[in-house]
Amino acid sequence: MRQVLALVVTAALAIAVPVWSNAWAFDGEKELYEAAKKEKELTWYTAHYNTETAAAICGGFEKKYPGVACKYVRTTAQVAYQRLAQDQKAGIAQASVISSTDASHYGKMKQDGWLQKYRPKNLAELADAFKPFNDPDDLFVATAAGLVLLTYNTAAVPAGEAPKKWTDLLDPKWKNKISIGHPGFSGYVGTWVVQMKKLYGWDYFKKLELNRPRIGRSINDTVTMLNSKESLVAAGPSATTLESKGKGNPLAVVYPEDGAVLMVSPTGILKNAPAPNAGKLLVEYLLGRECNEIIVKHAQDPVNKHVKPMAGGKSIAEVKTIRPTYDEIDKGIPEVKELFRETFGI
Amino acid sequence: MRLDRSTLLWALLVAALLLLVVNPLARLVWTSFQHADTGALTLGNYAIAYGRWRNVEALVNSLIVGLSVGVLDLLFGVPMAWAVSRTDMPGKGLVWAAVLGTFIMPNYLGAVAWMLLAGPNAGWLNRIYTSVTGAEAGPFNIYSMPGLVFVIACYSFPYVFVFTRTAFDLISSEMEDAASTLGASVWRTTRRVTLPLALPAILGAFIVAFLEAIALFGVPALIALPGRFQVVTTMLWQFFEFPPKVPVAAAYSMPLLLITVLLFWLQRRLIARKGYVALTGKGGERRLVKLGLARWPVLGYCLLVTTLSFFVPMIVVVQAAFAKAWGRGFSLDNVTLRNIRFVLFDQPATRDATWNTFLYATAASLLALTLALAIAYIVQRRLVPLGGVLTQVAMAPFVIPGIVLAIGFYAAYTSKPLVLYGTAWILVLAFATRFLPIAYANSDAAIRSVNPELEDAARILGGSRFLALRRVVAPILARGLAGAFILVFIPATRELSSAIFLYTTGTQVLSVLLFDKSDEGNFELLSSIGLVLVVVTVALVMTGFRLVGRDFMLRRTAT
Repeated sequence: MRQVLALVVTAALAIAVPVWSNAWAFDGEKELYEAAKKEKELTWYTAHYNTETAAAICGGFEKKYPGVACKYVRTTAQVAYQRLAQDQKAGIAQASVISSTDASHYGKMKQDGWLQKYRPKNLAELADAFKPFNDPDDLFVATAAGLVLLTYNTAAVPAGEAPKKWTDLLDPKWKNKISIGHPGFSGYVGTWVVQMKKLYGWDYFKKLELNRPRIGRSINDTVTMLNSKESLVAAGPSATTLESKGKGNPLAVVYPEDGAVLMVSPTGILKNAPAPNAGKLLVEYLLGRECNEIIVKHAQDPVNKHVKPMAGGKSIAEVKTIRPTYDEIDKGIPEVKELFRETFGI
Repeated sequence: MRLDRSTLLWALLVAALLLLVVNPLARLVWTSFQHADTGALTLGNYAIAYGRWRNVEALVNSLIVGLSVGVLDLLFGVPMAWAVSRTDMPGKGLVWAAVLGTFIMPNYLGAVAWMLLAGPNAGWLNRIYTSVTGAEAGPFNIYSMPGLVFVIACYSFPYVFVFTRTAFDLISSEMEDAASTLGASVWRTTRRVTLPLALPAILGAFIVAFLEAIALFGVPALIALPGRFQVVTTMLWQFFEFPPKVPVAAAYSMPLLLITVLLFWLQRRLIARKGYVALTGKGGERRLVKLGLARWPVLGYCLLVTTLSFFVPMIVVVQAAFAKAWGRGFSLDNVTLRNIRFVLFDQPATRDATWNTFLYATAASLLALTLALAIAYIVQRRLVPLGGVLTQVAMAPFVIPGIVLAIGFYAAYTSKPLVLYGTAWILVLAFATRFLPIAYANSDAAIRSVNPELEDAARILGGSRFLALRRVVAPILARGLAGAFILVFIPATRELSSAIFLYTTGTQVLSVLLFDKSDEGNFELLSSIGLVLVVVTVALVMTGFRLVGRDFMLRRTAT
């Protein structure tokens, strides 16, 4: 009798589990999917992840929603914006969804009326830390996150000697051994510079210059500098550094005591989207659990509150993070670009 | 009859140039005088672009880089071309393959390799130096003006090599014999006869090297910025940062256009009143100069240059391509085939991109060459008025920064009547336009060296001009054109700046993938893709050369 019961339960589970996982995860998902299927495909301009991650996300999306093709154009934030600007000027409806890493793009896109309103049903799944960065008018929502933190080469710097807070970089022992990016080339670096100025004033960079940091272009250049041992410590990105570390490179990250700089990257649906429903479906997917598990597999930080970060990294919720407001970023970046050029000569 | 056909051809060429060059260029000039928001006419963009010393300084830096690279390229390329073309130096196949490899290697990959080799703190060469001499620091610093010049020269001297080699291949030994009969030594003959005969090609190559050096973005971004100086392209890139200031960028790139015009004027002045006709109808023979013992130092020089440009950087690339984690350096437990497997088999994107890359590059090269040859021919033979203008127009695309050209293309061909965006054609046309100057400079030098008497002979016998072209000129030029094809094909396989704005899903090319990997700090995959690109292209090109045939001038021929 017991065995029969066990069998029945197992059988019931076997039938029920797939049905349950097939169940619609949010209100209106079925209708949205049906509408998206009619649109057949969507194009997504994204700067949020590297190419493999973008491909994996599109793959996951197509698997979950058969019949809706996901075409990604993975590029840098500036190129994505430039392409979109050209599209808009020429009246071309190419992309349905835009995911830039440069927060200041969104203010401009909002102002220029390029985005359409959409309040995702999956919003409750978004970790609370990111909710303040959603647009109050529902034009864009945070779907990716990252940190700028202290990074170092473990083959050259023992963990005990690694810098613990941002001001440790001013120690003369790091002279000629620091790597940073350039705010004129990278929005990530720009946000970091604005935040450092907010914390310690411009003096921080004048003192940093006494240590003659190696200035690269993008924030990811610091990973190459550290791996080659040309520099030993850096203000670097969490994801790329951890990914490189994951392969076995001698790198480590330090979550600064005075706060890792939080980068929040939103996603918006375009007003002239040729596939608005598929676009909405993608936004829901980006917030959902499956997508964030893919993201973690590729060493990026999740935004879904139920998904744990990869080994060796901390959840952003557990880390002390600091971040300028959108307004401070908008106004601050042009200003610090000038100051940066004054201080560092380029 | 002749006039009609020529006029028709001329009209066709003018239309093609209007479409490919003049339209985007005119937009650029026009934009530079327009206010960004109102569209009103203004000089304000120039004031912003040149109102600061820093911006002017970047322009000066670019000129220094361009000139130094041009000179260094001549020092690297001309002796090698002479050795391979005119002497009995051994190991020519190896030298040629290494030059090809150098040319194919994406220059920012080479730049990263050199950063690892000659970084002041941890560069391999500096570490070797300090461990041998016990000195505190090594002498090499790649993050400097000489470092930048050196790296750019390493990856642009193949232009000079191929240009000059083509010219040397066409010079018959009789000219040299005349000098040696009168008692001149090999060196004197080379200096006074062979080199001057190749002068148009050498000058053309110098200009191409100069322009390539000042239009490059990737390498300066990697080397100049950490070296704390800017060049025109790194400044331009910042004008495109958010919010993009396209009119300022346009204004800022105007001096580059003027410099190109100036260079071509100079070139014409230098070669105007001399004759460079090397191929006549009176028979010719080419014998190789016997170097004797000198062939070893000559080979040594060729290998030294290619070691710096190709072999040593390839060690770095191969190490990274086969490393689990390249930061761990050389060790057996760090070796893996995973990266290569991923690039070749696991990632469909790379496979598609490889196919697209070679397909588009081939189509673009054929298009550019056809156009260039036709223009060079009608200009040289003075068949039509305004030849000088055609020349200028054909050479202009080289200095339009790729990013600006791409935006011009994008603007011109995303709206009716010609919607090319989203198709492969826009990439093919953009590549063809971008490298039209190389095709043109090469075709021009090649046609300059063919004596019109050869065609006249055919025409006197009743053949039409097209018959003369097909049966006389084309066969003579075939080999030179193979060189020209490579000069367009290879840069087209690695062209990034226009591709990045014009590709869509389905039309991705390898250079875009490489740029992504570089932007993502993924040096293992970057090196793997680079390695695949180098190996496949070298194999393709070498096979191509086998098929085209051997050096026909090595034997006595009737031409």
